[in-house]
Amino acid sequence: MPIAQILTSGVELGFNQLLKLDPDSQARLAKLSGKSLQVSVKELPFPLLFNFSEQVEVGAVIESNEHNQAPDCLIELDLNTLPKLQDSSQLTQLIQQKKLSLIGDIYIAQTFGDLIKELDIDWEEQLSKYTGDVVAHQTFSSAKSLFAQAKQELEKAATNIGTRMTQADAVAVKPIEMALFSEQVSDLRSDAERLSARVQRLEQTLKDLKG
Amino acid sequence: MSPQSHNAEQNNNEKPPVEALPDTTHFGFKQVETDQKVNMVKDVFQSVAAKYDIMNDVMSLGIHRLWKRYTIDCSGVRAGHKVLDLAGGTGDLTAKFSRIVGESGQVVLADINDAMLKVGREKLRDKGIVGNVEYVQANAEELPFPDNSFDIITIAFGLRNVTDKDKALASMYRVLKPGGRLLVLEFSKPTHDMLNKAYDMYSFHVLPKIGQLVANDADSYQYLAESIRMHPEQEVLKEMMENVGFEQTTYTNLTGGIVALHRGFKF
Repeated sequence: MPIAQILTSGVELGFNQLLKLDPDSQARLAKLSGKSLQVSVKELPFPLLFNFSEQVEVGAVIESNEHNQAPDCLIELDLNTLPKLQDSSQLTQLIQQKKLSLIGDIYIAQTFGDLIKELDIDWEEQLSKYTGDVVAHQTFSSAKSLFAQAKQELEKAATNIGTRMTQADAVAVKPIEMALFSEQVSDLRSDAERLSARVQRLEQTLKDLKG
Repeated sequence: MSPQSHNAEQNNNEKPPVEALPDTTHFGFKQVETDQKVNMVKDVFQSVAAKYDIMNDVMSLGIHRLWKRYTIDCSGVRAGHKVLDLAGGTGDLTAKFSRIVGESGQVVLADINDAMLKVGREKLRDKGIVGNVEYVQANAEELPFPDNSFDIITIAFGLRNVTDKDKALASMYRVLKPGGRLLVLEFSKPTHDMLNKAYDMYSFHVLPKIGQLVANDADSYQYLAESIRMHPEQEVLKEMMENVGFEQTTYTNLTGGIVALHRGFKF
């Protein structure tokens, strides 16, 4: 069973479906028309090749073939770095940190990142095609308010736990206590270094006297 | 003209012994006059053209789409390339090639059968694929293109229907550019006995019934099953490609060897 082709057809389908849901994505995609981008993720058994036209074609690079023309841009990274591709302003920094390797036209990688980052899908509008405007609006309003409430409760709980751990139960250390402890460790380190230097001088004096 | 009904007394699964009759060739398990085969194959595809895509999906449970994706992955196609999709039928490969080669490239969809070309043209135009695709009715044995024309040639599930395969391969070699490659995607010989038996059972007993149900044409799908058994197996086809000049010829078995992709280069 061609597993690579199952994966790439899924990625391709998902990608193109998402692009179709954002009417403005065509203009951003047009900037990449005729270009190719190879993405090698270390954890994947094969690189992915993206070819851009009025939609995105996704293929698997089966083998490195000397007869294949190089893609316009080739990037290598690991799975942790992959989400950071969305922010094209970070690309240079990632390259300097050696988290990303890039060969070819950096503009293609940047534009690809922008293509994903700037996806703006009106999910309420999409739902309304199936349920009608009123139901879609009510569903999304309820979901937004539930989400905001859950977020508030989570923040409150985090604050309560933190307060309890540092003050009520004294299980965790307060920040000021931590700072004081760090200072004491630094002082101790300096004292140890001074003592070590003094011992070395005394050893040298003894050697000179014997000599 | 439809293929004659299969002799009920003969075991469907067995390839008949090949006798060297003058000016005859195989059409499935039958021997026919050589110059008649091309018309008989045309008739088969004339009959199945309208339901070709749906039959492919039903017969292969959609797996043919993955085999074709694999072919494109192995093609090395890039923007600006010129591609010949031979026996391209209803344009599955052409659709993807067209998008990848872009405005600066070109895809020629060639097929010996006009009905298949018409279905392909309609399908591609419905998808908005126009501009860089040209449609040509052509016989693979005598390709009507200048030497060194194409960067890539693909022939998917078409070579087994060609009367003189050596002549067709030589013709493909001629029209390929130096540095270009040929990809032959075709049914082949399964690598395991158990799979072979299951495949025989499916091909000869299930396929014609599906053909009857979906396309109202059991005979054409009987021919399909027989023509697969008459097609050269993996190593033989590799040698045939090398004999006409292809180099670095390799093949990959897909789905246990039910299908094989052969690839050769012209240098």
